[in-house]
Order: sequence, then structure tokens, then C-alpha cells
Amino acid sequence: MLSVVGCLYLITFYFNAQAGKEALLVALETVKMIAPILLLVFFLMALLNTFIDSKSISRHIGEQSGVRGWIIALVGGILSHGPGYIWYPMLSDLRDHGAKDGLVVAFFYTRSIKLPWLPLMISYFGLAFTVVLTLLVILSAWIQGLIVNRINT
Amino acid sequence: MMVLPMLLSVIGLMGLFEALVTPEMIQSVFKGSVLSDTLIGTGVGAISVGQPFLSYAIGGELLDEGVSLYAVTAFILSFVTLGLIQLPLEWSLFGTRFTVLRNILSFIFALLISIATVFILGLIQ
Repeated sequence: MLSVVGCLYLITFYFNAQAGKEALLVALETVKMIAPILLLVFFLMALLNTFIDSKSISRHIGEQSGVRGWIIALVGGILSHGPGYIWYPMLSDLRDHGAKDGLVVAFFYTRSIKLPWLPLMISYFGLAFTVVLTLLVILSAWIQGLIVNRINT
Repeated sequence: MMVLPMLLSVIGLMGLFEALVTPEMIQSVFKGSVLSDTLIGTGVGAISVGQPFLSYAIGGELLDEGVSLYAVTAFILSFVTLGLIQLPLEWSLFGTRFTVLRNILSFIFALLISIATVFILGLIQ
């Protein structure tokens, strides 16, 4: 896929060098920005693989995890920062180790709540909208998780 | 580590998107009817990438132009929960079933939440 993207860049540069340069700059900025987060995620993954076995993962976010699992998933999604694709490898790892799909889906969805950006949302759309939307997102994340778990059983 | 090429691809595509697609292009897509705009909003959000604040800024502009709050809410939600560009990465890591399920649910709930949000706001304001 990287070669496809490379070709797209070559095509863009051919037709519009300015845009191509801009795109490259944006991409490089992004890499610079996520590098520390990426290191953190890989570090966490290494920790996970070394110290936490499938049994404890199962206990906290697996089949029998219950309410605590949901809270971890929902709150974890809200607190996780940075772009989503950074968290994919770790989530996939957890899933392979027994984390329930529904919890992963819930985590994905509450990631849409971006704590640092909430003040900006309030300034654009008002406090009422922001509060209502945030609460609905949390509720929907839970419901979607339930649906996925139900479909998977 | 094997995921790095994919990650770089995603970042690369995002760079292209940001350089080539302007907010004006996004705004021009909305027509005026609530139902189709909400679907369009969800769709456009799904293929868009960028910092979340971008969706708020574009959403704010759309509202000023008279696009319905249903469409803007759906746009903001799908902007951050759906991603065409991240889809290959998601699929490679989580498999077809999970990816399809999650994306369909996110799409449906973007519509549902936008309806519910506008409804609730209508009640309390």
C-alpha cells in the first residue's frame, strides 16, 4: 500500500508541485507529532506482552469482565489521545489476547470525544449541544458494544 | 513494527487529502434538503480526515450557510468515527467481520445520534 501512496504522491507532484509539497509537509509534520505517542504505544504494548497474560486481560476486559470492562473501555476511549490509527495495533493485540470485541468497539467510539477540543466545540455549537452530544456518544458506544457482543455470541 | 508501512501510508494519504481538498469543496457538496444532507454529511465525514477541530470549523461554516444541524452533527460524528483512509489498516489488523460491523454501526449511529441530539436540544431549548 505504501507504494500506491508513493505513486499518488508522484502523480500529485507531476500535476501540482505546490500541492505535492504541501502534502508531504503535512505528512512529515504528522509523523513528527505522533512519533512520541507511537513510542508510548509500542512501549505499552511491550509492557502488555511481557507482564500481562491472557488470563488477566480476560478478567478485566474479556468474557467475564462485566461492568468494570465497560468502564475501562468507555473511559479509556475518552482519555486516549492522538489519532486513532496509532491505537489500532495495541487494540488488535488486546483483542488477540482475549479482549471482547464489544469493548474494543466501545473504546473506538468514545474516542470521538476529544477532551482537549471540547472547549472549541462549545464555542462553535454551544454548551447544550456539546453536553448532549457527549452523553449520547457514551451511551451509543455502550449500545454498539452490546450489539457487537450479541452478534458475536 | 510490521504495521509501520501501513501507518506511513495512512499518514501519507492524510497529507494528500489535506493539501488537495479544501473546506470550500466540502461545503459545496451540501444541497439543502435535511434528509439527503444528513446522509451526505455522514458520507463526507467518513471520507474526510484531519484534526477534529477541522470538523467543528467546517461544521460551523455549514451551519452559517443554513445546512441543518442534523447534517452537521452527522458530519462531525462520522468525521471522527469513520475513516476511509484508515480502513485498510483497520481491516488488516482486525479482520473483515469486525471492520465491517464497526463501520456499519458507526454510520447508523451517526444518523441516530444526530436525530436524537437535535430532538433533545429542541426539547430543552
